Amino acid sequence: MRKFLVIAIPILTLILFILIMLSGNHLKKSLVENNNIPDQIQVIEGYINKEEWQEVSKETKKLEEIWQKIVVIVQFSSERNEINAFTINLARLRGAIRAKDKSSALIELNEAYEHWKDLGK
Amino acid sequence: MNEGLVVFVRSIIGFFSLLIFTRIIGKEQISQLTFFDYVLGISIGSIAATLTTDLASRAWPHWVGLLTWAILGYLMELITIRWRYAAKYLEGEPTIVIMNGKIMERALKSLKYRVSDILALLRNQGVFDVREVDFAIIEPNGQISILKKPEYQTVINKDMNIQVPPSGISTELIYDGIIIEENLRQLNKNRTWLMDQLRKQKIGDISEVFLATLNPAGDLYIDKYDDQITKVTDIGDYKGPY
Repeated sequence: MRKFLVIAIPILTLILFILIMLSGNHLKKSLVENNNIPDQIQVIEGYINKEEWQEVSKETKKLEEIWQKIVVIVQFSSERNEINAFTINLARLRGAIRAKDKSSALIELNEAYEHWKDLGK
Repeated sequence: MNEGLVVFVRSIIGFFSLLIFTRIIGKEQISQLTFFDYVLGISIGSIAATLTTDLASRAWPHWVGLLTWAILGYLMELITIRWRYAAKYLEGEPTIVIMNGKIMERALKSLKYRVSDILALLRNQGVFDVREVDFAIIEPNGQISILKKPEYQTVINKDMNIQVPPSGISTELIYDGIIIEENLRQLNKNRTWLMDQLRKQKIGDISEVFLATLNPAGDLYIDKYDDQITKVTDIGDYKGPY
């Protein structure tokens, strides 16, 4: 029993560490029910194309809320640069919405999507 | 993103991964490490440190690096145990630096050792005069092994046919000015006896004593904080900045 524990505890510890380090890519998708980032980005993109800025603003706030929840969980397995880059894209998106600048908004949204894809990969 | 918390979690991952890997790699002590083992240890430690604090990249690639270095270190160890030919290449071999009392300058040069290094290593072995040495060998771990000339070799009791009782191991009675009561009890001694012994050596208080040990033959060794040495011998071999 003692020998088993001596071998099992390190192995289980290493497995736990690996799970923590690799969890980001899965957690970012499945964490928040009905509130995942790619869907939300698509919704916002749709409203931007229709130039319904009121709706864009509302949905962007929702996107930020989802992002805040996801960051808490994926921070242990993701790189800070991707997290920071996504946050910056959101800030720029807010500016583009205020200026009702369709092209800037689409640029930021698409870049944010790329950062989200690379998160935890 | 709470950077402090992330570093905390990563530190736990790095610390325990390192602990587990080093346990697997081997039980060699620092003094037995070859130069490569030493560098290997530094590299693995450095990767673990980056894993902990480099938040710009994920922990995973650093951890894979850590694992790979540890596996390679373990493989090298297996190879050197099972294949002597490889061991000779990977770990090096002993080099004679003093032969028949003569310093082998070429060997020193190839080892990148200075004479002062050899003299320091000899002093570590209790040899303060190079004339006493017949053979000196630098081992792969950088330590020196020496064979003294016959005339300088110590006479041992067996040479003189002297029977001596086993000396045993000394027991600490006072350490850092504090009496170790448990050891006193084990030796069937008490505070009064110890104070009497100290008074015989003109010591009034226990706090003056740094270390006191008693060997099974009943000899007491006492070292005081105040060593009262006025003239310190300088062993520097070259006039440096100080």
